[in-house]
Amino acid sequence: MKNWWKYLCVLLLFYTVIMGFSGPIPELNILEQSIRNLYFHVPMWFAMMILMFISMVYSIFYLSKQRIDHDIKASAFAKVGFLFGILGIITGSVWARATWGAWWVFEEVKLNGAGAALLVYAAYFILRGSFEDEEKKARFAAVYSIFAFVMFMVLINVIPRISNSSLHPGNGGNPGFNSYDLDSNLRMVFYPAVIGWILLSVWITTLIIRIEKVYRKKHGLDLE
Amino acid sequence: MLNNILKLVKKEVQLEWRQKTALGTIFIYVLGTAFLIYLIFQGNITIPTWIALFWIIALFTTVNAVSKSFIKDANEQFYYLRSIATPLEIIFSKIIYNALLITILALVIYAVMVLFFNENISDKGLFLLTILLGSIGFSNLFTLLSAITARTQNFVLLAILGFPIILPLLLLIVKMSELSNFAIQDKDIYMNLGAIGLLDVITLILSVVLFPYIWRD
Repeated sequence: MKNWWKYLCVLLLFYTVIMGFSGPIPELNILEQSIRNLYFHVPMWFAMMILMFISMVYSIFYLSKQRIDHDIKASAFAKVGFLFGILGIITGSVWARATWGAWWVFEEVKLNGAGAALLVYAAYFILRGSFEDEEKKARFAAVYSIFAFVMFMVLINVIPRISNSSLHPGNGGNPGFNSYDLDSNLRMVFYPAVIGWILLSVWITTLIIRIEKVYRKKHGLDLE
Repeated sequence: MLNNILKLVKKEVQLEWRQKTALGTIFIYVLGTAFLIYLIFQGNITIPTWIALFWIIALFTTVNAVSKSFIKDANEQFYYLRSIATPLEIIFSKIIYNALLITILALVIYAVMVLFFNENISDKGLFLLTILLGSIGFSNLFTLLSAITARTQNFVLLAILGFPIILPLLLLIVKMSELSNFAIQDKDIYMNLGAIGLLDVITLILSVVLFPYIWRD
């Protein structure tokens, strides 16, 4: 069974949605039922980080080997990573409205970091669009992508820790989620959800790569 | 290698000095912006606003000053430079030159801002150190990015690529500037200085490692 991970992905996401909306949750103040967003909001960011990491790895491969299919993959992973970043912002915004009382909190470092991270990758796509020559586009985009990933990590991992004033759980003196999850009910759904969403994001990426390759074949462009 | 880098830096300084209009443009730009802000705010601003305005002017001036650093070397000069110097020598010389230029511009902006608004930053030494570290970071990032954007016809690209990427550094610098005015405990100062220094080192390493890939034709 070649595509076992696709079946696994469907299975895990069915489990996530069914258990996510109807499974047992701890009794919590303020958060209440909105804790179920844990299975959707957090995995989006995990998926984005992993896809952006893979995109950077393919960029490094491109710089060392100069094969255009590495560039196709790097760009496809960045595209889907960007999509999951937007989904992370939307799910987060809904959650923020329910618990903090506002769609967007301007003093919140993680939100600003996420917004800036999306801008960094939006610039990546604009850079790609600015070159006519395919080899130059791939090479310069790869250089920028490596830079972008390092700064992305600084934005969402280093800055929130230094500023130490986040409203997010586990930051700025707020308790982390593990303190809510005393009977491990959340974990039972959360871990499968993370794996399921990551598999889905990779699946979408493989489809985009295939579409791009078919397009290139049809127009007689190089695939190596 | 060190010798060559110094020669290349000297070449940059001479070229800049020869084209006094370009230099004049930047200075008038700084003066004009500061005057505009003075008129808008009518001279009354608080220290956080002062710091924010200072770094915004510094950022925009940097983009304008650095954006042409590789355009000069287009065409024939590009091939000549490639034949006499290694990519490492080129990037180091450009980064050193741009860091010098940005530091000087930042000091000019500082002088102009003091002239128009008076400032009351209590620890001036610490603020000058922040300016120096910030200029080095700006130079590391924008030198590499300007090498990328010099190859496109898209002139807004440097700002689009640079602003989101400079953001972590900029946030730390603004925080540091505020700390140099008022810090509750010394620990915060060291932590922020350390973070800025670390970012300077990271961006320098990335620029130097990645530049050879941009420099080939």
